[in-house]
Amino acid sequence: MKMLIKLAWRNILRNKRRTFLSGLAVGISMASMMFVDGLFTGMLDSMIRTATDTFLGQGQIHAEGFTDTLEVEKTINGSDKVIKDLAGENIVTLYSPRTASFSMLSSAGGVQSVMLYGIDPATEKDLSMVDESVRIGEYLGQDNKGMILIGSKTAETLEVEVGDRIVVTVAQAHTGELSQEMFRVGGIFHMGIREADSGLAFIHLDRAQTLLGLKGEFHEIALSFVTLEMAGDRSLPFWGKYSVNGNDAIGWKEMVPQLESVIEMSYISTAITLFLVFGIVGLTIMNSLFMSLYERMFEFGVLRAIGTRPLRMAGIILLEALSLSIISMVIGLVIGLGFLKYFSVHGIDYTGIEFAGVTITELIFPVFTMEQYTLYPLLTIIFSLVAALYPALYAARLTPAKAMRRSL
Amino acid sequence: MSNTLIKVEKVSKVYGMDGVEVHALRSLDLDIKKGEFTAIAGPSGSGKTTLLNIMSGLDAPSEGRVMLSGKLISEMKGGELSDFRRDHIGFIFQSYNLIPVLSARENIEYIMLLQGVGENERRTRVSEILNDVGLEGMEDRRPAQLSGGQQQRVAIARAMVSKPDIILADEPTANLDSSTGASLLDIMRELNEKRGMTFLFSTHDSMIMERAKRLVLLKDGSVDSDEERA
Repeated sequence: MKMLIKLAWRNILRNKRRTFLSGLAVGISMASMMFVDGLFTGMLDSMIRTATDTFLGQGQIHAEGFTDTLEVEKTINGSDKVIKDLAGENIVTLYSPRTASFSMLSSAGGVQSVMLYGIDPATEKDLSMVDESVRIGEYLGQDNKGMILIGSKTAETLEVEVGDRIVVTVAQAHTGELSQEMFRVGGIFHMGIREADSGLAFIHLDRAQTLLGLKGEFHEIALSFVTLEMAGDRSLPFWGKYSVNGNDAIGWKEMVPQLESVIEMSYISTAITLFLVFGIVGLTIMNSLFMSLYERMFEFGVLRAIGTRPLRMAGIILLEALSLSIISMVIGLVIGLGFLKYFSVHGIDYTGIEFAGVTITELIFPVFTMEQYTLYPLLTIIFSLVAALYPALYAARLTPAKAMRRSL
Repeated sequence: MSNTLIKVEKVSKVYGMDGVEVHALRSLDLDIKKGEFTAIAGPSGSGKTTLLNIMSGLDAPSEGRVMLSGKLISEMKGGELSDFRRDHIGFIFQSYNLIPVLSARENIEYIMLLQGVGENERRTRVSEILNDVGLEGMEDRRPAQLSGGQQQRVAIARAMVSKPDIILADEPTANLDSSTGASLLDIMRELNEKRGMTFLFSTHDSMIMERAKRLVLLKDGSVDSDEERA
């Protein structure tokens, strides 16, 4: 075996240029898969983060059916107990109660329908990015409960600026009667998400409850968890514990189901790309081995003539494929690591592009995972060996007389 | 009969070339005895190479049978035939045909590795055989670092090291100058005489024919003459 390994390595290094070029081609293929994987992972992370951190939260608790109809009456049952229980949850880092209702904003310059959220400025500040997205004016404070935050697009439609007055009209709970109140624009936010900048508005939770005729009740509790994985893990007892008494606790996968579809789609895309790329890897290896085999046909004839068994002949080819794939793997790891390292520092700018209902608002940074450094090198070796089976079988079936046409 | 090493019986070989049948051998009979130093000669196309291919199991006859060391090799296939060649036949080729990426020592050792010979014995045998062919101190050189004559000496060493029953040599001097060729033939003749090693040559070379103890002339796939010589 030692001699066969020696033979394989020396044969591979016999034509260094060809070996390097083949290794480079295979290595680039492997590196491209590593990069695509890292990019997809980074992009999905970014999309999930954008979707959850901007405002939604990583999880939410509502009354059953509230998200389907957004009926003002459907407030969280036993909200005080829910809040008390959440305070004792180890996996929940933040929670923030909200009201949510359709409303009409009107000013001297125009009218705009929005989803009006009543928020607790203190808890919301840590949980979502509403405060950070305020570009003009100020975020809501405890002392200015008559202020409203509107999006940049809404401000354009209503032709208002900070300090201007807006009339908010909502339908009250239980009675359905319209309720109106005047607010001053305290701040204009820009989240970079069209739907948010034109369709959301925020007022103080107390004022929202009063406006909607709610007596200390709320519609939604936004949640943040220790890890994002926990927020997507339905097997945790947390979800069952809070999905009782007519309430429903959901994670980001239920809140933004299109993201789950994007993730599944990315897996399928990666699998197809992987199949195509590694198909090319296999053909490259096969081509290189056949070229080498044809060049050394007489030599193979001699090896057969002096008593090398067919299986051992196949073994020589497979060892050469293994050697070539190891060289390719090293080249691929160096290139892949270099690319990932560079772009994980500098990022790739996809900002403003909307995908599956989520607008990318930040640079995409490819993510390093252990899988990239284990799975793809392993696949390179496996595909190389599978591709080498054909030339190996060919070598095994060589008859010495045919291989050595010129002599014995 | 017990002295017969190779027995070729009514062997014919027909090749199909571009739809035309070529009769390379025609019902040929030939016996090679142990310890012989035989040359098979004849014009191009007379069937020399085909006969050596069939006698060594590198090719199969269309008809007839070949026995080597009492075994019917014309019926053997695959691994069994490979093992038989490894243990019973040594080959010397026209163009040396050493494995270029292996050193002289490794080229000689390779066949012993196939035979499962232990490391110590391999080293001993390699040293002895390199001494026999006059290549002491050159064991670590690769074929490209050796002259044609030196490469053919390594090939002789490789053919002999497995202790085969017979060495088949196809035009072993064809690529060598006459003095190198003569020197190699002297080595082989000496091995034949001292160790009783059986040699069978396929050749056009008058030097080999002159040194052969037996000369078989082929013509059109049949034995034209078979002459024992002093």
